[in-house]
Amino acid sequence: MKLRTLGSVLALGVGLTAGAAMAEYPERPINMIIPYGAGGATDISARTIAEPLGEAVGKALVMANVTGAGGATGSVAVQNAKADGYTMLFARVGSHSVNPAMKATLPYTLDDFRFVTVYEINPVACAVRPDSGINSMDDLVAKVNKGGVSYSSSGVGSLLHLAGAMVLKEFGVEDPLGSATHIPQQGGGAAATAVLNGTATFICTNSSALASFVANEQLKPLMVTTAEPVVGFDAPTANDLGKPNLNQLVGWTGIAGPDDLPDDVAAKWGEWMAAATADETFRTSMEERGSVIELMDPAEANAFILEQYNTFKALVDELGMRIEG
Amino acid sequence: MSEKSLHLRLGIFTCLVALFLIFVAIPNFVFSPSNVGNIILSPLFWPYVLAGLTGIVGLGLLANGVTSSNDALYEDEESVHPEGSAPWMRLAALACIMVLVMFGLPRLGMVWTAMLAFAACAFLFRTRHPIAAVVCAVIVPLLLYAFFAHVAGVAIPQGNFVRLP
Amino acid sequence: MSLLDSLAAGLALVGNFEAFLMLFVGLVVGVVAGAIPGLSATMAVALTLPFTFSMTPINAILLLLGVYKGGIFGGSIPAILIKTPGTPASSATILDGHPMAERGEAGRALGMALYASCTADAVSNLALILFAGWLASFALNFGPPEFFALILFSLTIIAGVSGESLMRGALSALAGLLLATVGLDLVYGTNRFTFGDPNMMGGLNFIAVLIGLFAIPEIISMAWNPVAHLGRTRALGKSRCSWADYVGSFKSIIRGSMIGVFLGSIPGIGAAPSAFLSYSEARRTSKNKDNFGKGEIEGVAASEAGNNGVAGATLIPLLALGVPGDVITAIIIGAFMVHGLQPGPMMFILNVDIIYGLFIGLIVSSVFLLVVGSVAIRGFRFVADVPKRILMPAVLVLCIYGVFAVNNNIFDVGVMFVMGWVGYVMMRNRIPAAPFLIAFILGPLLEDNFRQSMLMSGSDPIILFRGPITWFFWFLTFVTVFAITRSTLRKKVPLS
Repeated sequence: MKLRTLGSVLALGVGLTAGAAMAEYPERPINMIIPYGAGGATDISARTIAEPLGEAVGKALVMANVTGAGGATGSVAVQNAKADGYTMLFARVGSHSVNPAMKATLPYTLDDFRFVTVYEINPVACAVRPDSGINSMDDLVAKVNKGGVSYSSSGVGSLLHLAGAMVLKEFGVEDPLGSATHIPQQGGGAAATAVLNGTATFICTNSSALASFVANEQLKPLMVTTAEPVVGFDAPTANDLGKPNLNQLVGWTGIAGPDDLPDDVAAKWGEWMAAATADETFRTSMEERGSVIELMDPAEANAFILEQYNTFKALVDELGMRIEG
Repeated sequence: MSEKSLHLRLGIFTCLVALFLIFVAIPNFVFSPSNVGNIILSPLFWPYVLAGLTGIVGLGLLANGVTSSNDALYEDEESVHPEGSAPWMRLAALACIMVLVMFGLPRLGMVWTAMLAFAACAFLFRTRHPIAAVVCAVIVPLLLYAFFAHVAGVAIPQGNFVRLP
Repeated sequence: MSLLDSLAAGLALVGNFEAFLMLFVGLVVGVVAGAIPGLSATMAVALTLPFTFSMTPINAILLLLGVYKGGIFGGSIPAILIKTPGTPASSATILDGHPMAERGEAGRALGMALYASCTADAVSNLALILFAGWLASFALNFGPPEFFALILFSLTIIAGVSGESLMRGALSALAGLLLATVGLDLVYGTNRFTFGDPNMMGGLNFIAVLIGLFAIPEIISMAWNPVAHLGRTRALGKSRCSWADYVGSFKSIIRGSMIGVFLGSIPGIGAAPSAFLSYSEARRTSKNKDNFGKGEIEGVAASEAGNNGVAGATLIPLLALGVPGDVITAIIIGAFMVHGLQPGPMMFILNVDIIYGLFIGLIVSSVFLLVVGSVAIRGFRFVADVPKRILMPAVLVLCIYGVFAVNNNIFDVGVMFVMGWVGYVMMRNRIPAAPFLIAFILGPLLEDNFRQSMLMSGSDPIILFRGPITWFFWFLTFVTVFAITRSTLRKKVPLS
């Protein structure tokens, strides 16, 4: 019987591998899960760092996009994975601070993950069409109070969704949800297009997603949320406008494992990331796209994410933006 | 089967599905926040529209089935299968193979599961080339693995037992 | 700079061996990847992207464009031979391509697919070069209300692919629309039919549904009757696509190319709807109308022209506005940015040599596609000669790998199996699968654009008629619905 021979071959194989003892981590390729689609900000960032990181690790990094539900599908795949350090996640601001703050039905919480690093910060910029007659944040706020203003986002629970509401709130709009309409789109590219073609009035998103539109004068930047100005964006910073609270509103990319990830694995990642982010080609290509390279060790990363999460959570509760059901 | 009886059957089934959607599935499995301003913006609106349309098509099929005089049997359809109940057994076996594949993928790994599934299907279909089938069953999944894992860079599930390089 | 200067500058940029080699390699990679079910053109482009970081910008982008174009054509090879579209764009090709292969005319179908693809590709590239600026300014007029009207019109395609009964076609379409509601709600983010499963929150994977609906029922039929195919010719035979075939379908090919150009230049529609629209238009006007769906070569020509016509045109919004038309062009924009280029109106001024270099490369790509495609057809033809009872398990295994690779998720394999049984039950009850698929693609677009329009206007339905573009599509929709109703009534075929 053919099946039986096959079975015995299998059994033999099992015997062979069972003998091999636990060697030093990593002894085989590491699966890196990207919870967003190919070509997006997370994907490009992840694939750019994969080059120097692969060299530092010494084993192949297998990149896998697991897309869906604003990053939740991929995140759950890592949450449920074995905490052996062979399945890691590229966590992003949307999947790991906005989503947990906004969605009651999210199948994971921040406690289900152990962050080993955050390596990239993306400033957030707000922009409008040049022919909209809006030239500053004050103009925008005045127009919001008159009514009929809308903002686009890449979906419910995305950074863009929260950013629109948070910026208006900071600038003194009493009820941002009622006075400005949120028009969700499918994805970040569509969100920028929506402002271009007049579907929505303004957008607040990562500066890298707007850079080419701003350079071509198709969109006009109103402000950036960082303390430092952003190259190519002729707009005041949040601190210039006296709203340092908005410094919390930035995008980031980091790497996380399941919550019971062993300490020695986390420590190894710290070393690797230090080596990878020192790479010159990596730095230049990331900075050209408008990212700020800022390496955090596991403790700093956890503190940073928790602080951002708490800020967002407070805002969500105050505005009643939480999604139940 | 004739068109009349087919539509009668489909009509009854479709109406039942529409009723099930309207009274059970949509109220229980589609969630809507309490602060929806306008009914047409509610997450429930579109499913209800679709369920309603399903009901209309169901009634249409039913009406057509009742009134139609087209009782001619379809020509290209086998009336009685020559093997009696054997085909049903094979369908059940194929369903079992699929369930086992789903069970095996995370545990055995994709390559070994695919090999077993290939061999099982080939024998289920009573192939005339059993040796070729077994050879293919071993080679095809390995080739696909080599391609997907090493050329395309896809993380093919490896399972808990035998890991391939 | 005059046009001639620009052309010369572009030629200087691409006039080297390496640039054309990259284009050629890209096409080969694309055709092979497209021919493997589950490895879509999108994935092939995404997988090639990292290799381009070290190249010069023009070589990098030519390589990616080669992969893109090759992938869209390559998808038609398995669609014809094993009824499993390699990419979503080639799902319309199954309708007539596979029956032709069943009849032993796979060679003819593949040949026609290639010639139609190359012709449409050339038309599309020409349109890009001539009309980029003009079409791009038109494209930005498409907001949610325009999309809603366009998609509503596109849904009338369903009547064209319903086959013998419009009523069963409608039933199939409704099932597709209902299945497409699974996932998170767009506006409120609440769960719809997800049963709390994170895998379902993202909605059901389109490729998994597609392959499940079209490929798996074939395997299940094999279990029902393993000897049904014996006695029927399946060998590829010596059949080839003749000049007369090409001339006979020329009108459909050109029409399909135009449809592709038009839909391709509007961001967010993509190749699959274009292929279906081209197919249904060809069917509506053809004198061989009744033969459509049973292996009509004109159907293959129309659908392939429709999907390849999109390939050049999606670059119109990309180059002229910096707006990606679909996922693939979004990845290509990424490649531009990696090389420090920012697509948009300014690019026509700052990097005009690259723009014209791309144009020259694109024209050459249509010729290369013909060469690569002919070789690929010869290479893949043997698939048709494999004994079917060994081929089918191989297809099953290929589907498992392919569907997994789309989103690295085992859950999708399960979706594919379940949809396979749904598709089999539908097949046994004479419910056509094509309307299901079209509705599954268009349903979410229809709902999203409707709700976005309502958000824009504060729930005032007047916005759906806000301008000439919407009026145009409403008019087309009414004319088509009227024509369908009249022809069904006149033919005395009951509306069922």
